[in-house]
Amino acid sequence: MVSQRDREILRDDLRARGTKLSAAERESLLKGYLPDPAELGTKPAPQPTASERRKAQRKTPIRTFLKSQTHYLAYAFTHIIFGIVVRLLQAYHAVVDRIFAIVYHHHRTPELIRKDVKNLKRLPQHLSTILTLRKEDDALAVLMDEVAELAAWSSCSGISQLSVYEKSGVLKSCIPTLHQIITTKLASYYGTPSHQPILQVFAPHHPVHRSAPISNTTDNTAQHQTLTILLLSSTDGRETLVDLTKTLAEMSQNGKLSPEDITPDLVDAEISEITTQPLSMDPSLPDTVLKPEPDLLLVFGPFLKLDGYPPWQLRLTEMYCTGGRSHGLSGDGEAVEYQGYMRGLWHFAGAQMRFGR
Amino acid sequence: MPGSLHMSRLRNWFLASPPAEYAITGLKELLIGALKQGPVPQHVAFVMDGNRRFARSHGIETVEGHNLGFEALARILEVCYKSGVKVVTIYAFSIENFKRSKFEVDALMEMAKVKLSQMAQHGDLLDRYGAKVRVLGRLDMLKPDVLEAVNKAVDMTSRNGDRVLNICFPYTSRDEITSAIRDTVEDYTTPIQQGRTAAAASRFSESHIAHNIRAQTLGSTTHEAHSDSESTSGSSGQDDDTFPRHDYSDRVYGSMSSCSSSTTLHLGNQQDPKGGSPPRPAAEADSPVYISPETISRQTLNDHMLTKGTPPLDILIRTSGVERLSDFMLWQTHENTEIVFLNVMWPEFDLWHFLPVMLGWQRRISKSRQDPNAEGNFAGDAKLSEEGSDAMLWSQGGKVKDI
Repeated sequence: MVSQRDREILRDDLRARGTKLSAAERESLLKGYLPDPAELGTKPAPQPTASERRKAQRKTPIRTFLKSQTHYLAYAFTHIIFGIVVRLLQAYHAVVDRIFAIVYHHHRTPELIRKDVKNLKRLPQHLSTILTLRKEDDALAVLMDEVAELAAWSSCSGISQLSVYEKSGVLKSCIPTLHQIITTKLASYYGTPSHQPILQVFAPHHPVHRSAPISNTTDNTAQHQTLTILLLSSTDGRETLVDLTKTLAEMSQNGKLSPEDITPDLVDAEISEITTQPLSMDPSLPDTVLKPEPDLLLVFGPFLKLDGYPPWQLRLTEMYCTGGRSHGLSGDGEAVEYQGYMRGLWHFAGAQMRFGR
Repeated sequence: MPGSLHMSRLRNWFLASPPAEYAITGLKELLIGALKQGPVPQHVAFVMDGNRRFARSHGIETVEGHNLGFEALARILEVCYKSGVKVVTIYAFSIENFKRSKFEVDALMEMAKVKLSQMAQHGDLLDRYGAKVRVLGRLDMLKPDVLEAVNKAVDMTSRNGDRVLNICFPYTSRDEITSAIRDTVEDYTTPIQQGRTAAAASRFSESHIAHNIRAQTLGSTTHEAHSDSESTSGSSGQDDDTFPRHDYSDRVYGSMSSCSSSTTLHLGNQQDPKGGSPPRPAAEADSPVYISPETISRQTLNDHMLTKGTPPLDILIRTSGVERLSDFMLWQTHENTEIVFLNVMWPEFDLWHFLPVMLGWQRRISKSRQDPNAEGNFAGDAKLSEEGSDAMLWSQGGKVKDI
């Protein structure tokens, strides 16, 4: 630590734009704080002066041994303390989460969910989530159910764009089944199909899967709400940028493009296109417009890591990790819970959740 | 309020007193030494956010806030390097920041210039500690005098290697990714020369392979495929000749996934400028021949990023409670990077805030090493296979530099 006196000298020097002290003066000021370069590789030395250093070299074996033992002890000690604190915090947050889970429950009622988000100053236009596939046998079924729940909640809270990232990409291989499951889930929330939002599910390079258009009944006016779900996997991340580079390199080799033409705008346009415009089978359908950059990224996991999420789109995305408060050391991934989802939305709006609605 | 002010003054006086200072220093040293005992992240990135808000809330000038922020940086760098972190990357100035008030931008530039030129005055000190400074970003957007200071500091430390400080100066990540793509495309648009052209032109056609086998078994001197100019290659030149071709076949066929091939590609690129190109005189091909774009992999792009040659990012810390990346390290913050948002202004950031982050990381790492099957693990199989290549490259990059 720099002593108060030296700090003042340095600050004065800085204010004078580095003119007050000469190089030699600064060096002598620093000398006291520099560790011995020979020891830097092995252990930090507590700022020895020149004479001390000479002594230290003579007594090295015992001193080194003692010091390393002290450090090891301190390491063990701090980790024990830290572990206890983390456990306590975890227990506290587990209790708080349970209370939230009881107080804030959706009861599969769109009105209740709408009421929960009513007072929020802002809502994400495009919500993105990172889910993890667990290791049990029915992992895929659980995952699809989680996606369905999320779809229902976001639809009820008025978020019409949802993207779901799952690293391995299993979801992409069963879009029709997923669509079916989500429709069933929406039915359990909304009731009859005429009240449900129009659901469209797609993944990059996959055709859009749309719920069958309801026949032209009279209540067509209530039918304008849509829910667009985009499925992402790790191949849409760095791999996509690599693919883009390949294509650009090929074009450049064929003389169709000069490297100077590659600008952030071009890359942005290309990358956004992949996630916003699905391969549409039916040209009569209107273009599904999805905001390319998500506003909020909800990570359902013990700590905040992106796990291969497409990097380009994340520039200004706010991130929220449901397990983030407890330093996430509970071994397994977090369950997707309504209270976690709500906490994320409240956090995004800059509001604090309270007990009692 | 006056009471609290009085108290804080009293506290400051106490903290500034020599015994208290000595005790705190001792405690910090002990904690840093303790941190060293466990696993230590190799690469840590900081977004130094909150200088302006800190200045506003404390009623001081913005420029003063930045100065205090610099002190915080020095403090945390000391902690990082002493505890064994190899690379620290800091977000000093975004390209977007040019939109701020001219006064502030000028003051920041001035500060950077002063600090960098001061650093250049202590060249021998930096040499002794092996610290290396790199400035990442759009240097062309800097004013000439600042650029000069940057170049001087970077040149001076470029031969040191052990500890690296990456300063992202006028930087945005999208700009970095785009430049990486552009550079890669440029690399692949440069026709490959001589020895390799022959191999590439034939694209490993069957006749060529058959011809090769024949040539090897017979040791004959007929070389139709190499009609370019090298009719003299006898059996002695054969080994010399086949080596680069083998190298190339690796590049074409092993491109997509395997780390080893991307490693050779990487090394090949590294050695090329040092004169590793085939020694035979130039033989011009009829039409330009390029390396197949299919050989571009994630590793290729990685090697064109500004952070090339550094170990993968382990922890990214952003202060001031803003919870987004703001165009920083998008590519690097990829799979296993732990992102931490701290609700503290950067000038206040110290070991006490950094310690819980490090402890949490160490705990998770040592747990996942004990039980690699646990979910949410950090250094498990994925890390070993994916990041292993990075780490390998890191060490190999070091070797190449040593040579």
